Amino acid sequence: MVELRTSYAQDLRLVSGWTGWAGLLLLGGGLVLLPLVAPRYALYVVTLAAVHAVVAVGLNLLVGYTGQISLGHAGFFAVGAYTHGLLLTRLGWSFLPSLISAAVTSALFGYAVGLPALRLTGPYLAVATLAFGLAVHQVLVNWEALSGGRSGLFLPDVQLVGVSLKDDRALYWTVLAVASLLVWVAVRLVRSYVGRAWVAIRDSDVAAEVSGVNLTRYKTLAFALSALYTGVAGALMGHVVGFLEPQLFTLFESVYFFSMVVVGGLASISGSILGAVVLTLLPQALSGMGEVLNVLYGAAVILVLRFEPGGLAARWLRIQRYWRTWPL
Amino acid sequence: MTLLLQYVANGLAAGSLYALVALGIVLLYRCSRVLNFAHGDLATLGVFFAFSGITRGWPYGLALLGGLAGAAAVSAAFYRLLIKPVRQATALSLVITTLGFALFLSGLMVWAWGTDTKVFPFPLSEVRVFRFGGVVVSELTAGSLAVGLVLVAGLSALVQRTRLGLAMRAVAQNPVAAQLLGVPAGQVLAATWAVAGALGAAAGMLLAPAVLLDPFMMLDPFLKGFAAAVLGGMDSLPGAVAGGLILGVAESVFAGYVSVKYKATLSFVVIVAVLLVRPEGLLGRPFHRRV
Amino acid sequence: MRTAAWLCAVVLLALPLSTGAQERGVTADEVIIGTSMPLSGPAAYWGAVGRGMEAYARYLNDQGGIHGRRLRVVVRDDSYLPPRAAANVRELVERVGVFAIVGLIGTANAFAVRDYIVRNQVVWITPTADATMWYGFRDKKYLFVTYPSYVEEAKILVDYAARQLGAKSIAVFYQNDLYGQKGLLGAKQGAVRSRVRITAQVPYEVTQADVSSEAVKLRESRADAVLLYATPRHGALIVREMAKIGYTPKLLSSFTLGDPIMFTLAGEAWNGVISTGFFPLPGTGDSKVDEALAILTRVDPSLRTNPFNALAGWAFMEPFVEGLRRAGRELTKERFVTAMESIRNWDGQVIRGVTFGPDRRQGINRVFLTRAEGGRWTRLTDWISYPTGF
Repeated sequence: MVELRTSYAQDLRLVSGWTGWAGLLLLGGGLVLLPLVAPRYALYVVTLAAVHAVVAVGLNLLVGYTGQISLGHAGFFAVGAYTHGLLLTRLGWSFLPSLISAAVTSALFGYAVGLPALRLTGPYLAVATLAFGLAVHQVLVNWEALSGGRSGLFLPDVQLVGVSLKDDRALYWTVLAVASLLVWVAVRLVRSYVGRAWVAIRDSDVAAEVSGVNLTRYKTLAFALSALYTGVAGALMGHVVGFLEPQLFTLFESVYFFSMVVVGGLASISGSILGAVVLTLLPQALSGMGEVLNVLYGAAVILVLRFEPGGLAARWLRIQRYWRTWPL
Repeated sequence: MTLLLQYVANGLAAGSLYALVALGIVLLYRCSRVLNFAHGDLATLGVFFAFSGITRGWPYGLALLGGLAGAAAVSAAFYRLLIKPVRQATALSLVITTLGFALFLSGLMVWAWGTDTKVFPFPLSEVRVFRFGGVVVSELTAGSLAVGLVLVAGLSALVQRTRLGLAMRAVAQNPVAAQLLGVPAGQVLAATWAVAGALGAAAGMLLAPAVLLDPFMMLDPFLKGFAAAVLGGMDSLPGAVAGGLILGVAESVFAGYVSVKYKATLSFVVIVAVLLVRPEGLLGRPFHRRV
Repeated sequence: MRTAAWLCAVVLLALPLSTGAQERGVTADEVIIGTSMPLSGPAAYWGAVGRGMEAYARYLNDQGGIHGRRLRVVVRDDSYLPPRAAANVRELVERVGVFAIVGLIGTANAFAVRDYIVRNQVVWITPTADATMWYGFRDKKYLFVTYPSYVEEAKILVDYAARQLGAKSIAVFYQNDLYGQKGLLGAKQGAVRSRVRITAQVPYEVTQADVSSEAVKLRESRADAVLLYATPRHGALIVREMAKIGYTPKLLSSFTLGDPIMFTLAGEAWNGVISTGFFPLPGTGDSKVDEALAILTRVDPSLRTNPFNALAGWAFMEPFVEGLRRAGRELTKERFVTAMESIRNWDGQVIRGVTFGPDRRQGINRVFLTRAEGGRWTRLTDWISYPTGF
């Protein structure tokens, strides 16, 4: 089923051909109808995977497309989560304004981290972002007045169009809607001039600058958007778990997100989603195995990268390519 | 005044261990451009090997050597099996590979040796102390400082004055050219990883008697060691030592006089500050990229 | 887009549908219990509680079970992370179909699953979280807790230090999380009540390896007594460090440091420490507890390195088993609740003095004090009670 493109417009289109549309409808329908057939605990895990997918996509914009490294994304996750949580509890805002504010605040933090990061590369950037993530965690633990400290911050019962978000299904659909919107935006973004600028920066930032790509603008944009996605995901995570506690935002989380992006495949939106889904389901599936869990999880990550450094998306691409000229 | 000196002494003690960890990280980064996040767990593994030897009744020195050798072997094997064969690996996927390996190792240690904290016997005592005026320094601390200095000197000698060191530097600068000139890059890199692993294990063995042995004991020291490496300059071995000592002292004095609660935050703020002002670290060479 | 469709298929295939039963978790020959423990990650030491529970269940099954039913304990790992604990609990309730959740380690984890468990009316026995989290909480019908309150325990320790040890000033060394902070709160309340001053509050992070500055800070406070709310490792570290710099206050600790491993870790420096306990410690002359430990280590030899937590697992599960016994062969949730409410001042093999009632869900409200002497624990006082809160 080789698809030939005959016009630029056709190339730009996200969904092409009847297979594309059929696939999309199947996927969309399946995801929307999922709560009606799946058992509730499964729904919970899928909701969690969707939240992680948003983080992975956001992180991929920064890491995969722009070539920057960030080991502190749990910090942005926390900023979004606590902004949302505090606006809901302390100021009594409703869901949407609070979520949008969380998004904006995270983006601002992303910008603030991105500015100094302009001068740093490689391990230095890794450490700077690591330090940011750890610093945020420390502040959350110690500044109790702000974060509720270790007692946690409980999210109230939030209503959205009359339905409580404490209901698993309502929460799932809300997360699905937000995630779909953000993924769509990401896909459009990477196919636009912004995405091309990012990739240029990743591949050779000096050449990019010489060709007219404003490094400052696009690098900080990457950080800000990446932080925005992660912050929104953090806000949603608050609803999924029901309360916020600094323990949810440690270095382990940052590493976890990072591994989702790399295992899924750098510079691939669907790869990030795949990576997030797989790495959310895997610990759950292995949770009966006790101490062997970390061994298996670590081994899984290593093996995927050993045999497919491009991640799961690259492997999927190879499979597609293999079948493209079938039965030859 | 004595109080300040005590805090400084404590800081130097902690700092010397951060410095040892940083040495391993910097060595690897200099020679193979890989940020090894599994360094802490490799070190702990070496200590567990030594612990097993001791509990089996091996003579002390043999058990320690066994631990060092074990860590070196595992480190070199990791390089050979998981890092080297992957040609298209990006820096990022290498980082994740080391992180995956770290998780794998820590899970393995929990499974093989259990989760309970253990006492690691060591000839240098943590409890016997030297007193200088009002300042207390334990035997172990003095020993760590001494060992650290010896290791730095030894490493410098290795890198600057031996053929292996020359080969390491050549491979670090340009692997292809080095290979064209007959340097067996693969073997040299494996040797580098082995040395780094042994260094980490040495740091762990000095740390374990003080902080008690369990699979996660190196978590915090590793992060601090990493920060120290950046502070001192990822390209510079003396920088790693300087960074470690400075970080240790700064932390201790801050905890003593300003706030114990925010002790950990300080380290990270310091790192960020250094990175903003002088990214190549205190003793590193400024990083110039050729286009 | 096609990738995404495949994704969808993968996800859907990974979700087997749940099965139903008349009373969830109860069949003709089995009662299913679930728990979520940290079996991996830095908190894995506490996971022995789950293994202790499994071993206890196996022992009971070898004796014929309860009313002809075997006990099956399903343990899931959550690495001490709240989202995983929440997912595990949902899986246990919906996919495995458990009759009760027994234990659940971590106050944060308990908060994460509380609403779900209450909403689904799942029997919940003793989450190991500070008891004050239940004060004033509605919907406790299916909740039965036999776990001490860190706050009350601290008050008792401060009182003992003030009255029996003559301490006028106290310093608190505490873990910077809910466990330690509750201990600190109790210490502060106790200080007011017993009229002593708190001269230093020194926190530490559980990932910290070096506590030398903390020890110096404690010494500078010149407190007569130091209260320890820490894990065994950090308890040992701080005590050794304090001895090293020549500071020897009276030492008091929470029951979590009543673990015999302290003698190995802290050596001589641990002698003289006064700790609380809520079940008699092994090796202190209580034959029933010693027998229980022997049984556990026989069934699961790996528990030998972690006897304290293994016994804790037995202690948590014991009241539940007693409830099963009293409910009789016909087992439903309602009959179980009635059976539990009939427990008055009951002594199990490990746990002692459990009382529940129609308005009482806090099973134990007392601790005793014990002192470390010559490498072993010796009982110091009789049971000291504190007011019940729920």
